[in-house]
Amino acid sequence: MADTMNHLERGMASLQNKPVDRLVTYPLAMGVCRRLVGDGKMTYRDWASDPKKFASAFIEGQKHFDFDFAIGLMDLSVAAGDMGSTVRMDDQNTPFVTDPALKTVEDYETLTPPDVKKGRSKVLVDGTKLFVDALGSQVITAAFLEGPLLSLTQAASAEKVFMDMYNNPSAVHKALKTITEYNANMVRGMGTTKCAGLVWDYLWGSYSCLGDKEYEEFEGKYARGLNELTGKEGMAMCIHNCADLPHLDTQIKAFKPAIYSMAYYPLIPGSPSAKETIEKGYADNCLIGGQIDPQGFVRWSQEKMQKTTMNLLQEVKTAMCARGLHSKYCIASGCEVPPTVTTRLENIKECVDTVKQYGQIKC
Amino acid sequence: MQGQDILASLEKAVITGNKADSVKFAKEALDKGVKALDAIDHGLVKGMTIVGDKYAKHEYFLPQVLLAANAMYGGLDVLLPHIPKADSDKKLVGVIGVVEGDVHDIGKNIVKTMLTAAGLDMHDLGKDVPVENFVNSVKTAHASLIAMSTLMTPTMDGMKAVVDGLIENGDRMKVKIIIGGAPTSQPFADDIGADMHAINAQEAVKKVKGAI
Repeated sequence: MADTMNHLERGMASLQNKPVDRLVTYPLAMGVCRRLVGDGKMTYRDWASDPKKFASAFIEGQKHFDFDFAIGLMDLSVAAGDMGSTVRMDDQNTPFVTDPALKTVEDYETLTPPDVKKGRSKVLVDGTKLFVDALGSQVITAAFLEGPLLSLTQAASAEKVFMDMYNNPSAVHKALKTITEYNANMVRGMGTTKCAGLVWDYLWGSYSCLGDKEYEEFEGKYARGLNELTGKEGMAMCIHNCADLPHLDTQIKAFKPAIYSMAYYPLIPGSPSAKETIEKGYADNCLIGGQIDPQGFVRWSQEKMQKTTMNLLQEVKTAMCARGLHSKYCIASGCEVPPTVTTRLENIKECVDTVKQYGQIKC
Repeated sequence: MQGQDILASLEKAVITGNKADSVKFAKEALDKGVKALDAIDHGLVKGMTIVGDKYAKHEYFLPQVLLAANAMYGGLDVLLPHIPKADSDKKLVGVIGVVEGDVHDIGKNIVKTMLTAAGLDMHDLGKDVPVENFVNSVKTAHASLIAMSTLMTPTMDGMKAVVDGLIENGDRMKVKIIIGGAPTSQPFADDIGADMHAINAQEAVKKVKGAI
């Protein structure tokens, strides 16, 4: 069926749970869209180091796939790299930390906030501005930042931080305060780009990793301030958490994001499906995004992608109608579509086109 | 302190993640004539098994598991040199590592700990491990088990390269291969010719025990 609303109308209606011509969709295709630029040979290193190249992937991705959103995820090592960690940047692989900067308790205590006007922090802000300028009149745009605990675990290694939560808690808090200060500066920087939203990656809110007590102590209390600042700077606060067993009561019911992006792990007992997430009321006041397996974009045939998307649409529509909701679900991939060269771009298009064709909802 | 009390103290040291106590009671066990193997099996391993159960029930989370593992290794460092060689030789050897191109090793470390607690002699190859290091381990470490993990999609193919390398050098039938990590699954394990996939450390122990 042909769309009768434009992307912004549909997106805004979905955020307000108003009727829509079809559900919104955004497979989280960020780094992979670099393959659509120029001769298709842009390396990941170039993409993640140059604002113009970074933005060009979102612009070309929009032309090619016709998404409802554009969200500026680069990778999870931006802050850690600017804190002095060694980041390995391969040609065709997501950059990642190979040598964390923070190795001792003193390192936590002497950490200073990275300058957001330098390094890849600046690339991220400038690149976000460029794609927001280009796409902001077409789709809902959002910046993407790592939460403070995620940045710290990247800069010091998760294992060290988790043990230091008990062995050296005050030093961990000191580092988190410093990173929160950096994050606040990044929020202010992203505010100047005029993006509509800002997505926080609060990855460690997972019951496979932390309980409620640790999460509140080591991220929740810092996140609350950043969430508030996000709104004050004129951006809708959104959350991405692709971990298994996410802390939905805290991250959706207490933090109250406009959008919550999550993954589904069918093999892990208790991992909430789309249906369960809606049934339990988490979509009542929040646009939920999920939960097509990102692996499917690499490994499935187009037919399987279409069938999976259709099945998810049916599951979501049935659950939303039973809950009295019109449009509070975005068909997405719970994690980033693998940015590898083996990802099948036709599967991204298939997912979007299937939502266009079968995403109408009438209860 | 008598033997039983020392074993209980070792168990408690692991459960509470107290490395200093684990080392102290391991030394005391040796001083009081407790066999090293008994101190490991009925003290440290017993404690780590309880920690694993608590983690599965979401009573413990990663910080407590990591501290417990650290405590267990502290005690093991004291006790392992005192195990008679004949007993050590009976242990099956496993190698474990994160495949090349990936450095996310927290899950691998937990699996290593639980497999060690299950009685295997685990050799940790670390993270970002080249294919040949896994492949050669069958000859160099006499491994009966290869455990590989990755958290990232682009590095999954490294697991297949290991399986292919083992086939090529004729060692594939000498080892069981288990894989894990968020993007992996049993169908993927089947695709690449690995024997098993596990979603967590508990399942890994169960499957490895069943297989070897």
